[in-house]
Amino acid sequence: MLAMDQGVVEEWLSEFKTLPDSAVSNYAASLKDKGSLVPALYKVIRENYSDLLEPVCHQLFEFYRSGEPQLQRFTLQFLPELLWSLLSVSAARDPHTSGCIEALLLGIYNLEIVDKDGQSKVLSFTVPSLSKPSVYHEPSAIGSIALTEGALANHGLTRVVYSGPHLQRETFTAQNRFEVLTFLLLCYNAVLSYMTSTSLQSLCQLSSRVCICGYPRQQMRRYKGISTRLTVTSEFLVQLITGIHYALCNGEVELGSKALDDVLYRAQLELFPEALLVGNAIKSSLHGAALKSNNKEGARSIQVEITPTSSRISRNAVTSLSIRGHRWKRHDAVDLGSPDELMDISEVDEGVWPGGVGPDMTPPTITISNSVTTLNLGAKAMKKCRLGGRTSKDKEAGPLTTGRAASENTELSIKRLTLTSSQSVPKAGALTSLTRTASAVFSRSFEQVASGNAPPSSNHTTSEAGRYSCSLQEEGLGYLSPAPNHTQRSPSISVHLGSDL
Amino acid sequence: MTARKSGSRLETEIERCRSESQWDKIPELVRQLSAKLISNDDLGELLLGECKLQTYLKENPIKQGASPRGPRPKLVEVRKHLTAALDRGNLKADYIQEASVLMAKLCYVEGEYRDALGHYSRVNMDDMQLVGAPVYRLSMIAEAYATKGLCLEKVPAISPSLSNKNTGSPSSNRSTTDREQEIITCYEKSGDIALLYLQEAEKALSAGIQNRSPKPGPTAQDLELGYFLETGLQRAHVIHFKNGNLTRGVGRFREILRAVENRTTQSLRMTIARQLAEILLRGMCEQSYWSPLEDPPTVSPLDDPTRQGHTHSKNYSLSRRPRVYSGENLFCPQENTEEALLLLLISESMANRDAVLSRIPEHNNDRIISLQSASVVYDLLTIALGRRGQYEMLSECLERAMKFAFEEFHLWYQLALSLMAAGKSARAVKVLKECIRLKPDDPTIPLLAVKLCIGPLHWLDEGECFAKMVIDMGEKAAEFRAKGYLAIGLVYSLKATDASLRSTQEEYQRKALGAFQRAQSLSPTDHLAAFYLALQLAVSRQIPEALGYVRQALQLQGDDVHSLHLLALLLSAQKHYHDALNIIEMALSEYPENFNLLYTKVKLESMCRGPEEALLTCKHMLQIWKSFYNLTNPSDSGRGSSLLDRAIADRRQLNAMTLPDFSDPETGSVHATSIAASRVEQALSEVASSLQSSAPKQGPLHPWMTLAQIWLHAAEVYTGMSKPAEASACTQEAANLFPTSHNVLYMRGQIAELRGNMDEAKRWYEEALSINPTHVKTMQRLGLILHQLQRYSLSEKVLRDAVQVNSTAHDVWNSLGEVLQAQGNAAAATECFLTALELEASSPILPFTIIPRAL
Repeated sequence: MLAMDQGVVEEWLSEFKTLPDSAVSNYAASLKDKGSLVPALYKVIRENYSDLLEPVCHQLFEFYRSGEPQLQRFTLQFLPELLWSLLSVSAARDPHTSGCIEALLLGIYNLEIVDKDGQSKVLSFTVPSLSKPSVYHEPSAIGSIALTEGALANHGLTRVVYSGPHLQRETFTAQNRFEVLTFLLLCYNAVLSYMTSTSLQSLCQLSSRVCICGYPRQQMRRYKGISTRLTVTSEFLVQLITGIHYALCNGEVELGSKALDDVLYRAQLELFPEALLVGNAIKSSLHGAALKSNNKEGARSIQVEITPTSSRISRNAVTSLSIRGHRWKRHDAVDLGSPDELMDISEVDEGVWPGGVGPDMTPPTITISNSVTTLNLGAKAMKKCRLGGRTSKDKEAGPLTTGRAASENTELSIKRLTLTSSQSVPKAGALTSLTRTASAVFSRSFEQVASGNAPPSSNHTTSEAGRYSCSLQEEGLGYLSPAPNHTQRSPSISVHLGSDL
Repeated sequence: MTARKSGSRLETEIERCRSESQWDKIPELVRQLSAKLISNDDLGELLLGECKLQTYLKENPIKQGASPRGPRPKLVEVRKHLTAALDRGNLKADYIQEASVLMAKLCYVEGEYRDALGHYSRVNMDDMQLVGAPVYRLSMIAEAYATKGLCLEKVPAISPSLSNKNTGSPSSNRSTTDREQEIITCYEKSGDIALLYLQEAEKALSAGIQNRSPKPGPTAQDLELGYFLETGLQRAHVIHFKNGNLTRGVGRFREILRAVENRTTQSLRMTIARQLAEILLRGMCEQSYWSPLEDPPTVSPLDDPTRQGHTHSKNYSLSRRPRVYSGENLFCPQENTEEALLLLLISESMANRDAVLSRIPEHNNDRIISLQSASVVYDLLTIALGRRGQYEMLSECLERAMKFAFEEFHLWYQLALSLMAAGKSARAVKVLKECIRLKPDDPTIPLLAVKLCIGPLHWLDEGECFAKMVIDMGEKAAEFRAKGYLAIGLVYSLKATDASLRSTQEEYQRKALGAFQRAQSLSPTDHLAAFYLALQLAVSRQIPEALGYVRQALQLQGDDVHSLHLLALLLSAQKHYHDALNIIEMALSEYPENFNLLYTKVKLESMCRGPEEALLTCKHMLQIWKSFYNLTNPSDSGRGSSLLDRAIADRRQLNAMTLPDFSDPETGSVHATSIAASRVEQALSEVASSLQSSAPKQGPLHPWMTLAQIWLHAAEVYTGMSKPAEASACTQEAANLFPTSHNVLYMRGQIAELRGNMDEAKRWYEEALSINPTHVKTMQRLGLILHQLQRYSLSEKVLRDAVQVNSTAHDVWNSLGEVLQAQGNAAAATECFLTALELEASSPILPFTIIPRAL
């Protein structure tokens, strides 16, 4: 390490301590102008035995703890380098030298897993649903949505936790190491846009090395560091891939694609479906897009061209839209694109749910697999349909109105009534004396098949019971088989009862 | 116009034709018009000029990227008409504007950009009314703004250095920026008005259908955007992105997408939604995100910092704007992944609708186009959902992609992987089979299938097939060849455990050993190969050899939990209990929450340090269990809730299930005794694997099974201490969770025995065996009791059955010897005792098979 670098680092170490609180944000902004500081810090981290490592780690932690976003990002830019330092040292089974790096990483982790009040933080997001209006769409315009288990479960907007809650950690163990590191990468990925290209390069290098060390590919990459294999987890690789994806699209084409290849190579060897899935998707989505490598001005390579707005598909091709209006001659013979073989499996997959489930205990979800292709009703008819379906009274009224619409259309029409009710059921965990609230979305959906040539009868209520091919049975039987009296009209609607797992 | 006289049906008709671009009808209408009034001549000239220009453009469309050049003979007439209309000056102001705008457009088409700009400057387009304007005029204004933008781009600014931005004085720089700003404003206005026009046009069209005619006319035909409207709609954001102004570009995308869609914009919306999703996923992160209804940040890392003078909001207003989606409770994304997902779901629904299903050769191209545009969307969906770990939803989305997937390897493979990640193992295997068919050379695919077959599914025969595929690939499989041998070794090893005949057992063990040896020699640096070789040797009770390989495995991977565990068990088989305990403690320092290690620790502690220590460990285990599954947050519900919430929900089904015995797999989970038991198991393992995907915890143990397991271990320690009351209390806890578990019943039998209540014990054991007829420990105890009751032949039968199930259980051999002795069969008894003695010498404290075997 050059004396000059050392000087820069030492100056940096001293100046923050004397800073009054009010000057912190100005100071944070000014860090960018210190051109030689960041490379010098990288050197310190890479040379594990440097005397400066410990104060540098300490200072980086102080930056992070300050809560000032710019300072936090300053620390985070070194994360890939720090991770590599930690992993390579632990692979070399020399645990004492990386103590301060461990402390820094655990410190950041422990800060990030709690919110301001010290409660465990849970990272969650809302799964958007096309059945709810959004700033970008209106459900009625989307047309029918396949009535799958997922569609029902997502009928409302669901909040899903994707990380957390996490336990506080005081030391790294083989068991928690990747849990902590995965979470740290998640934090890093949340600030990717602010990271310098050096940091992104370092991330790509980290990814390559973690994945190939100890494997035959190491020779190909001519990396001569450690040669022991590092254990990885699938989640960790997925987080790495997220970062690599950003790097790939923002100027680091060469290193990025190398890193992506290496991660995929490892994911194949480890048979990790998650990492393979995301990695394959990135590879395939970038396949067509020509990536501009490191163009001088601003490394962003997001390119958009004017595209023709008219549909490129010729009008006479049979598409899933055009086939919707098709009138099937023999209703009972329609195989709705779901081979029997696949049907069996879905049964195996759902498993067997043993009986004896108290009706008041388990809110059952209904799965209607193999939903009938739904015809596009005119928007108006759809609206009418939607107006109904809140109460059972409306439910009966619904088919009447739409029945009329259907006969007007003289088209085979299938309409759907949706009835959703959510309930929150507080439960007591008997054994652990922990009270938890479990609430479940309880949605039922009925799909009714009506053909236009059948005139809407006036006494609808009587025919109603027969028409709903899937009725709800809360007795908790594992299966309902297709309603026998419906073989003519609605082919194979099978209903499963099962708790949402 | 609102003030239009009601009488002039002709004018309405003209307006309609102009709005619906029915240019062929115009000349006839003009003839009728000039027949009425002489002053209509000028209007006629205007209309004829317009219709000829539009017809020309329809026949000779301008291509994107190509610039028009030179005057065309056909356009001479157009100029004549328009000049005539303008020159006389008799037209109403509105029409003069229209004529000038058309004239400018003509100039553009002929490449006379300066002239065009001159016409525009005379009109002052900002004065053209949007409110109450007829539909065709909206289109005209939108085109005019777009054309003006195009002209401004062609004509250099006052300082001739428009193209090179970095030279020149600050003042010329400023004028360059101003110029750019003017161009962008033109396009943005054009785009906004175009959207408004399309909305109005569709409204008029559908109104037209209702008013007029059952007669099916050309009305249903889609409006087509010409070159100018397309440019107007898209050029603004293209420029933003070219300039590195991501913030504005994203803003513009969002404006277009927020406008209520209509048939013409669908394809544009699909493209833009996909592009915006790409930007959100590739170029943004959580911290640089701002939501569509928020103002963009003033400084953003997304924008190219080298370019100055970016403005972040638009600086114009229009008297009328396109309708946007509105209403109460509109979902507005708050995070980049959310927005990307929403956009992708919208694109997906459109892409799906366009899926070309027909497979006739003429539609090949169409099919490829629809496939490509859909697979981009599905890839992006995978990226977004994978980031958030939502594999279940992803597998459902990809299932919808199957429409496109005939013979498309990528889609099939992605579906298989997503099913696998979502824990839908059985289906994943079926889909993987199709992938193998499509790409028979890839060794990863059959290996993935074996992984599922060995793990959650326990389909050993299928697993064997898949593993053989990999082996049959030979050298082609390269690094995966060793994995193939490992896989088949595991299959054999598990089959050996399952087999009920000793000869089959030994056959499979031999095969497994061979396969592991092969794997190890092919890949000597793979710790798994060495480890499984060691495990197999251990199961066959070749303890010293096993020790050698486990050491080798540990040299390759020093902190591998299973290797450490095996080492401890091997040491315990050699009766070095203290060393074993030390190893376990060392392993626990790295894996403090590993219950498998803790179970072994309990056993070893009660052996070396007395039961009090063991009880302390049990207590510790309960604490770990609690802290592990106790993390919840009450605010969320349903799918995303904490592990414990889900566990509570699951528990209700578990009441009916038996507790597979993880500490004794020779009888419990791995041994498929009956179909019913295995189906329960399968259901459980699906539960377990779906839990695993969300939980970072190791091992697929179900939390409640773990808890019951802990209680049973505690009960066992108490019975060892001869404390039936405490043991009974612990068993009761486990029974609350799994009332029909054979382990619980077995433990109850033990407690009854402890109390000297032989009849009761017998009853419990019999019940346990009725649930699991091959539970060796129960059989051994039952045999003993029968022996005590002097029912020797029955006892002998039970014990012989037990030996058949597990030939390495030394205490069974011992009991069998005793029974035979009691019956006076001394020779056979001696043999049994000798076998027992020999087996005991190599018997570990817990069966080796508690160590999970998975790929």
